[in-house]
Amino acid sequence: MTHSTPTVLLTLALLLAGPAPALLSRARWPSRVPRAALVLWQSLALSALLSALGAGASAGAMVVAYDHPSVVLVVLHASALLLTLVVLARLLWSAHVLGMTLRTRRRRQRHLVDLVARTDGRAPGVHVLDAGRPLAYCIPGLPSRLVVSSPALDDLADDEMTAVLEHERAHGRARHDLVLEGFGALHNAFPRFVRSRTALDSTSGLVEMLADDAARRRAGDVPLARALVRLADAPAPAGAMAAGAVTPAARIRRLTEYELTRRELTDAPVVTSLAYLTAAALVIVPTVAVAAPWLAAVAAAL
Amino acid sequence: MVGRTRLGELERVIMDQLWTLDSPATVRQVHEALSDSRDVAYTTVMTVLDRLARKGSVEQIRDGRAYRYRPAVSRDELTAELMHQALDTVDGSDRMAALLRFVGSASADDADAIRAALAELENGRPEQSPGRAESDRTDGTAGSPP
Ligand SMILES: [Zn+2]
Repeated sequence: MTHSTPTVLLTLALLLAGPAPALLSRARWPSRVPRAALVLWQSLALSALLSALGAGASAGAMVVAYDHPSVVLVVLHASALLLTLVVLARLLWSAHVLGMTLRTRRRRQRHLVDLVARTDGRAPGVHVLDAGRPLAYCIPGLPSRLVVSSPALDDLADDEMTAVLEHERAHGRARHDLVLEGFGALHNAFPRFVRSRTALDSTSGLVEMLADDAARRRAGDVPLARALVRLADAPAPAGAMAAGAVTPAARIRRLTEYELTRRELTDAPVVTSLAYLTAAALVIVPTVAVAAPWLAAVAAAL
Repeated sequence: MVGRTRLGELERVIMDQLWTLDSPATVRQVHEALSDSRDVAYTTVMTVLDRLARKGSVEQIRDGRAYRYRPAVSRDELTAELMHQALDTVDGSDRMAALLRFVGSASADDADAIRAALAELENGRPEQSPGRAESDRTDGTAGSPP
């Protein structure tokens, strides 16, 4: 049985890395239950990664199952092991580089904000920048910082500003930056010709929806939508648009859809439970069904 | 010890001070200017100026046996750098944003789509804003179909 372990794990890894993200990114239900969808994405990524590493490791280690392995077999298995180690190393390196880059840039941001931002009674606890364009953002970290430009502060009504600030605070509270950093590291770890932005774009969108939900609970749908309209008005500098991400128009339409289908949303608990169950199964089942017998077999062979 | 937040605040106050001065200032001058408004130790001022110099925000000029300090950049330049970073026009590591913006900038096409989406939301449900009176909008006709 254990000879099939690497094949099963590799197949699983390929399915989880290719078709599964493509399907999930096109599904419509995640926008209704973004939290559950985000958990599913995370478990999908974790499971794909564990399967891939498990496939390599089991293929590499299986050489102990033979009584007298030939040189070719030994070389083959050793290469599988080496490849696995390379993948793992690339992943760790990518996480390290991205972490350093982000931390450096955020430190610089915090420093600059300390030097030039002021406080304003209209938005307590917020760093206000006297800049030319309406803008609001959060510098992730502990504690995270909210930055708003003075045109944004002037343009937005009180409830719209409440929506903006609640949106940004939700990002800070839930450490969405860490979620995105994880997917970013995973994305950067793979060579350009095999990777896709699907997971990173989808999770970025879900994170925005989660923050939007926090904002609409505090301030209401229309103030949130108006804030989106006002702050999205600034024309993009050339080449600065992120492709494929959730657009402001889509975020507003989501609010409308949510309102119109509120009564039909009774299936939300079902969808949510299914998503969480799938997420748990993705991580647990391969581990138990495939890896455990293999571990036992290797242990017995030793 | 001085806490990090307080150091950050002192950095700002000291930069403000340097920006208002015409010529490079000594630690003593900065300290004297500050001591009118706040209780801060001479050595703290020195530390903060040193930090600012290491971060490239002030320039250290040797003047005999002492140092003089002047801003390396103007306030406007710093603000411009902030905006530049925040608007994502610099992004080395595969477009992974360091900051979480409330909303990205829209292209001209998007701007129309956004306004249409807002109109749809407002028409669908004219009464909004839990516990809040709409101040800037009076065209809320009840339940008119889109
Ligand atoms: Zn956001």
